[in-house]
Amino acid sequence: MAKSEDVKLIRTVCPAHCGIDGCGIIAHLKGDHIVKLEPADFPNEKDRRICLRGLTSLEITYHSDRIQYPMKRIGERGEGKFERISWEEAYDLIVSKFKSISEKYGWKSIGWVLGGPGAGTTKFGAYLRLASLTQSTRVSAWGYGDAGLPCGSRIILGHQFPYLYLHGEFWQRKYPELLVIWGTNPAESMPLQNMRKVLDAKEYGTQVIVIDPRFTVTASKADEYIGLKPATDSALALGIMNVIFQNNLYDRTFILEHTNCPYLVRIDTGKMLRGKEIDAQKADAYVIWHEPSNSHKTLSRTNVKEANLTGTYNINGIECKTVFQLLMDLAGEYTPEITEKITGVDKELIIKLGKRIGNSKKINFLTHMGFTRTYHGDISLRGVISVAAITGNITTSVSSGNIPGILNWNPFLKAIPDKPSFHRMGILNLYDAVISGNPYPIKALWFAFINFLNQCANSNKIIEKFYPSVEFIVQTELFMTPSARYADLLLPVCSFLEFSDFIAQPYPYAQLQQKVIEPLYESKSDVTIVAELAQRLGYGEYFKGGEEGMIDIIMKTRSFEGTSREKLKSQAYMLPPLPEGATFPMNFRTPSGKIELYAEQLVEDGEALPVYLPPIEAPITSGKMKYPLTLVNGHTRFRTHSMFANVKSLLNLNPEPIVDINPFDAEKRNISNDDKVTVFNDRARTTLRARITEGIRPGVLNITEGWWIEQFEEGSLNHLTHDIINPVQDKVYEPNMHMNDVAVEITKNEGAKK
Amino acid sequence: MSNNKLLGMVIDQERCIGCEACSIACKVENNSVDYWIKVETQGGADKDTPGGSFPNLTMEFLPKLCNHCENPPCVDSCPEDALQKRNDGIVILDQELCSGCQACLTACPYNIIVFNENDNVVEKCHFCAHRVDQGLEPFCLICCEGQAIHFGDLNDANSVVSKLISGNNIFQLKTEKGTNPSVYYSPPRPKRRL
Repeated sequence: MAKSEDVKLIRTVCPAHCGIDGCGIIAHLKGDHIVKLEPADFPNEKDRRICLRGLTSLEITYHSDRIQYPMKRIGERGEGKFERISWEEAYDLIVSKFKSISEKYGWKSIGWVLGGPGAGTTKFGAYLRLASLTQSTRVSAWGYGDAGLPCGSRIILGHQFPYLYLHGEFWQRKYPELLVIWGTNPAESMPLQNMRKVLDAKEYGTQVIVIDPRFTVTASKADEYIGLKPATDSALALGIMNVIFQNNLYDRTFILEHTNCPYLVRIDTGKMLRGKEIDAQKADAYVIWHEPSNSHKTLSRTNVKEANLTGTYNINGIECKTVFQLLMDLAGEYTPEITEKITGVDKELIIKLGKRIGNSKKINFLTHMGFTRTYHGDISLRGVISVAAITGNITTSVSSGNIPGILNWNPFLKAIPDKPSFHRMGILNLYDAVISGNPYPIKALWFAFINFLNQCANSNKIIEKFYPSVEFIVQTELFMTPSARYADLLLPVCSFLEFSDFIAQPYPYAQLQQKVIEPLYESKSDVTIVAELAQRLGYGEYFKGGEEGMIDIIMKTRSFEGTSREKLKSQAYMLPPLPEGATFPMNFRTPSGKIELYAEQLVEDGEALPVYLPPIEAPITSGKMKYPLTLVNGHTRFRTHSMFANVKSLLNLNPEPIVDINPFDAEKRNISNDDKVTVFNDRARTTLRARITEGIRPGVLNITEGWWIEQFEEGSLNHLTHDIINPVQDKVYEPNMHMNDVAVEITKNEGAKK
Repeated sequence: MSNNKLLGMVIDQERCIGCEACSIACKVENNSVDYWIKVETQGGADKDTPGGSFPNLTMEFLPKLCNHCENPPCVDSCPEDALQKRNDGIVILDQELCSGCQACLTACPYNIIVFNENDNVVEKCHFCAHRVDQGLEPFCLICCEGQAIHFGDLNDANSVVSKLISGNNIFQLKTEKGTNPSVYYSPPRPKRRL
C-alpha cells in the first residue's frame, strides 16, 4: 500500500528471541490498526533487515487465539479449562498465595522462571528487580540449551561468551582469509547479523568451512563441508591439533604470551606447580622452565617469553610437564586414523583441514550453541577455542570499530544497595528442587516468556512428577501454549507492538522498541504486571514510571549514556567509535588471566584438558544397540524456538513436524518419503512424518525444535529428550539440557493418520 | 527504445539462502492469494534437501517470479488485453479487465501466474509497480535476508543490474522459448575445496 496522509509511521524493533539480529522495523499505523511492517533504515544502509518471521508479526498481534483477559484454572492442570477473572482478582490471588507459601517455606520457595526475553531488556530487568527485592528465587533459563557454551567459555576464557574472542572484527565487516563455522547454522538462526556477513566474506574472498552433522543451508554455502558425527567435536578438535603439532604449525609467540601452556603441571597431582612447592619467594606463582638459564623459575611478565613450551622436568624431585606438553601428548593419541574412527570424517580431509588451519594467516571461528547441546558440549567448545588459541587466532584486543554495548543489570538488582539479592537456580536444577526439595523446596512458580513444558527436556517427567509438586503456577502468555494449560493463573501479555522496551542490538547499535498501539483486550506488558504486583507487595516505589521508568534505568548505564529515549524514537543509536589509538581490551577472567588450555579446577573431574569424552546417550559407535540412532534438533527459519508455531503464513510453507532421516537408515526400516513414523526410546514415543534426505548423516535423525506438542500426532520432540545433569557444568556455571545427545529408534507407523 | 527504461532484476544464487522471506514479503505487500515469487530448491527431490550423497552434497536456491519478458506470451494470449507490457518493461495486469479465463496460465512458460478463485481473476508479480512508480524498490528486495536481489534499469549501462548481467555465467530461464526475460540469475561461485 502506498503511504497516504492518514498513515503514521512508527519505528520499533522486533525483539523475538533471535537475540542478536534486532531487526528495526517501521510500523504503518492507520487509526489504531497496524496495517503493515517493513524494515527500518539504519545509519548504515547495509544493516536494514527483517526476516520471514518478523514479516508475519501482525499475525501474532492480531491472532484470534490471543489470551484476552486474566484467567483462573477451573479444570485439572493440563486440561485447559479456565474462567475469566478481573486483574484485581488475579493480583489478590497471587498476593494471598505468595503470602501463605512464603510464610510456610520462605520467599526462597517462590521461583521466577524467566525464559528468553529475546532482545528485550526491561521486561527481564523488572522481574530481576522484584525477585531481588523479595529475595525469592530467580530460575535461570540458560540451562534449557544455552548453558553448555557459557560453561566451556567460562572455563577457558573466563567470559560468558566466546564470540568476540573467536571472530574478532567480523561484525565490523573486516573479513579473514579463512572462516570456520563450527556447529551452528546462521543461515536459519542468525541470518541477518551473521549469515549476511558470511556471504559478504565469501565475496571478499574468504574460504568458508562448515562443520556440522547436518548439511544445513549454511553448509550449502561452504567451500568445504565436514559432516562429523554428533557429539564428537572435541575429538575432531584434537585430531586437528594432532595435524598442527605434527607439522609444527602452531603459533609459539601467541601461545607463550596469551595461554597457560608454558606453566608446569605436577604429574602426581595434576595441579599446577606453585612457587611455595619449590621454596620460591612468590608462593602462589606458577612455575616455568626457563630456556636461557636451563632452570625452573617462577613466572614473571618478562621471563615467560623465554619459557620452554615442551618437555618433562624434574624439579626438586617433583616430576612435571608443561601444559603444552600434556596437550601435545593428548592430541598425539588423536591420529587422523583414530579421529576418523570417532568422528566419521575422512582422515585425508582431517589432514587437509589441520594443515589449512595451521597455515592460515587469519582465521575467524563462528560458533554458537548448537554443538554444545551435548553432555560434554562445554568441552566441545573448549576444543574449538584450543584450536584457535594454538594457531594464534583468538582476538586479545580490539582497536577499531564501535565500543561494544554492555548491558549492566546491577541497577535492577541493587534497587536497595546493601540488601542481599535473589537466590539463583539453574532451570535443570529446578526439576529436583520441585520434585525432591533439593537443594531447597520450590513451591510456587511464575513463568514469563517461556514455553516451559514444550521447550524443556523430558516432558513426561514434567507432566507426571514436576507439575503435581508445584502448589501454585502463574504464567504470562499470549496464547494457550502447551505450558499455559498447566498454569493455575494465566495473565495476558502484549505482543511487542503494544509496549516499549530498550534493545541493545544489533551491534553496533541500540534501539527503542516503541509501543505502536495500546495493549489489545485486557493484556498488559510484563513490566506493567510486575509493577502493579510490586505495588501490592509493598515495593511500588521501585517501579515508578512503568515501562519508560525501567527503560531510563538501563539507558543511564554507561554504554548508552550517549543517547536518549527521545532520540531513539526516530533512529537507531550507533555506539561510539573507539577513539583513535585506543584499544578495547579483551581480558581473560580465568584464574591465571590467560586462555586456560589446562583448567586446574577440573583435574578431579578428568577434564583439565579439552579431552574427548563419549556422549552420554548418542549411539555413535557401531554395534548392536537398542536405540541405534542419534536424535538432534536443529533450529528452523519458520520459528523462533516455539514462537511463530501458530502463524498461518509460516505454516503454509512448513505445515507439520517432520523427522529427517538418511536413505541408508530409511531403507533398512522400510520407510518411504512422507510415511508416518514413530520415533521412540524408553522415555516416550512421538509420531510424525518422515522426510528422506541425504542432508543428514546416516545414523542421525533431526526434528526441528519448537513445534507445539499438539502439532505432533503423539508425543513431541522433548518427550524423547532427557534431563541428565552434567556435574561439571553444575559446578562451573549451571547444567545444560543435552537435546542433541539423545538415543532413539524409528519405525514405520502403519496405524497413524495419513 | 533505448531512451526508455527497461526495468529488470538480477538474483544472485550465491547469496540466496532459500529463506522465503521474499515469498512472504510479496504476499504481505500485495495481499495475494498465492506466492508470486516462489523459491525452488535445486538439489534433492524435496524442498530444502540437497542432491548427491552424504557428505558430498549440493543445494542451491532459485527464486522464481514473473520474468517480465521482452516478448511476453501471456500478453499475446490475453483476450481481454488485461495484460500489458509497460514502457518501462513491467508486464502489468489490470484485474478490472481480467475475465479469469486463465489463457495466460497456459501461455506462460514459467508457471508463475496465479489464479485467484475467490475473485475469478489471475494474479502475478508486477515488480511492485506501485512502489517503483514512487521511486521505491520492490518489497521482496528490501526484505531479502541474503541481499541477493538487485533491481534497476537494464538500459542504463551504469546501473548495478547492467553491470551484473555483463558478468560471467549470468543466465535467464528457458531462453529457448524466445521470451527474453528481464529477470537474470547469477549462479553460485565454484567451491574452493580444501
